[in-house]
Amino acid sequence: MSKILLQLREIKKTFQSGKVIYEILKGINLEVEKGEFLAIMGPSGGGKSTLLNIIGLLDRPTSGSYLFENREVSTLSTNELAKLRNEKIGFVFQAFHLIPWATAQENVLLPLLYRGKIDQEDIYRAQGLLDRLGLKNHINLKPAELSGGQQQRVAIARALINNPSLLLADEPTGNLDSQSSREVMDILTELNKEGLTIIIVTHDSEVAKRANRIKILKDGLFIE
Amino acid sequence: MTLITLKLSFGGIFYKKLRLFLSVLGIIIGVSALLVMNTFGESAKVKTMQEIETFGPEILMVVSGQARVRAGRAIQAEQTTALKLEDAQALRKISAIQLISPLYTGSSIVRYLGKNISTVVQGVNEEYIKLRKFSLIEGRNFLKDEVTGFKKVAILGYKVKRELFGEEKAEGQHILINKLPFTVIGVLEPIGVDASNQDQDDQVLIPITTAMSALFNVDYISGIFISVYKPELVPLIEKQVDEILLKRHRVSPKEKGFNIIKAEDILKFRTEASSLFSSLVQSISILCLIVGSLGVTAIMLLSVNERRREIGLRLACGASRRAILKQFLIESMVISLWGGFIGLFIGLLGILVFLPLLKYPLVLPWKPIIVSTGLTIFFGLLSGIYPAYKASKIDPAILLKGL
Repeated sequence: MSKILLQLREIKKTFQSGKVIYEILKGINLEVEKGEFLAIMGPSGGGKSTLLNIIGLLDRPTSGSYLFENREVSTLSTNELAKLRNEKIGFVFQAFHLIPWATAQENVLLPLLYRGKIDQEDIYRAQGLLDRLGLKNHINLKPAELSGGQQQRVAIARALINNPSLLLADEPTGNLDSQSSREVMDILTELNKEGLTIIIVTHDSEVAKRANRIKILKDGLFIE
Repeated sequence: MTLITLKLSFGGIFYKKLRLFLSVLGIIIGVSALLVMNTFGESAKVKTMQEIETFGPEILMVVSGQARVRAGRAIQAEQTTALKLEDAQALRKISAIQLISPLYTGSSIVRYLGKNISTVVQGVNEEYIKLRKFSLIEGRNFLKDEVTGFKKVAILGYKVKRELFGEEKAEGQHILINKLPFTVIGVLEPIGVDASNQDQDDQVLIPITTAMSALFNVDYISGIFISVYKPELVPLIEKQVDEILLKRHRVSPKEKGFNIIKAEDILKFRTEASSLFSSLVQSISILCLIVGSLGVTAIMLLSVNERRREIGLRLACGASRRAILKQFLIESMVISLWGGFIGLFIGLLGILVFLPLLKYPLVLPWKPIIVSTGLTIFFGLLSGIYPAYKASKIDPAILLKGL
């Protein structure tokens, strides 16, 4: 069994706007091992979001090869990518992105909607996850009734419900105060210690310090 | 499908109530208009048929003057004096004629114990009541002797009897018609307005001879009612009647002072009028539904735009584009159906209130209900296609822009 979870080779991404072609990623090489905690830092406009979109299978590279669990994924169809996202990847976003009309528990169960049916066992699992993240008394509350930190913990539970191989976090503490930030980072660190591979994109060097490895992306290339 | 699946799939529909109501409003108006108008059309048809039935398919009517069928009713345009009592007697020779009655129509003041009413007085013979298939709820028909003997006897229409006598028995009582004393010998059952546009309850029948001599002093009649043995014989008899009368009057067909009307003519004009009405109404209601579904389209587009992040999130969580397409198609269908059902409810309410109010027969509008429900589903689907397509094309990458 290989230790490598994902491998990017010469990944390039270009956008065309009118006659001008922008090269956002200029040849990214990256290997992430299972169980790693990687932080990607860098200035705005450096290509962090684009890279995260490609790693998260939300977007395809213009050229280059992307092996995810030893499978070439850069050429998969939209539906195959959706299926892979559903089974293998959990997302945590800066703005939480919870559905406002659904309760915490229902939000956690959302990814399972696209896997098949939701049964009682899934509901127990969602409750278990929320319980573990300290939201035992909040499972039936709507996002608007929760604090920012609580909302982000619901989002983490949602990312974990499918037992993903990879957790992608995009500025997970960007909208939080320092206290909540610490709590969320504690959770991510703990999850990593249990073996979950995490890639986090951040501006905050305090947050990045929690990772095992830091990569800095500037002008479409890793500079260290 | 469990409750939670259902909620996660379609919970968004009911999130913004005002938005939902606005999008549903057009559909509600369209469906209720469609239902009410179609039911009115059906009801009008039933009403027409009921009226035509009082003027059976085996009945011919010869009227003096040029009669016109206007708005489905036989209306005498101008009265001439061409038609005589002898014409009616001459027509009796046609063997296929079953019953025949001359008719003179005038209006008079009828009086009983100080109560005066103005009503229509019809001079007829003893065959008239049988010919028109009227029944008597009191008394008896004219005797042949009474008709030939200029007797002053009268049969009252139901409404006339009620107004003059109330609940009392009218038979055997004496009334004054234009100051002449008449004996009431019978009362007609309630009949209503017939295809000749006359309220058959607001009339008094007297012998034709009495009407022409004693009451109105005329030597002509207004018309002749003829019934034949079989409806199939009507065209043949119509031709024979025409020929005999032309010969008797010694005029060319262009100058003839009479006109022959049969049930078929009235039915034909009535059907044309009502089909014009219902096609007009149907186009208006379908227009309403189109406008309504455009409303749903607009609101759905707004909703898709407002819920970009939710859609992006669903895509990131592994929803296929087809699943998003399906979700929004079903959402607009649910919205349309919801509006459709409210529209049906309001429409039914309108029908139950307005049909009896306008004295239209209450018909069960199954066909309009099925048609409007079907159209709602169709337009709901139609209105959802473009917004759903837009939703399925949303790029999940927007989630990472920190929005």
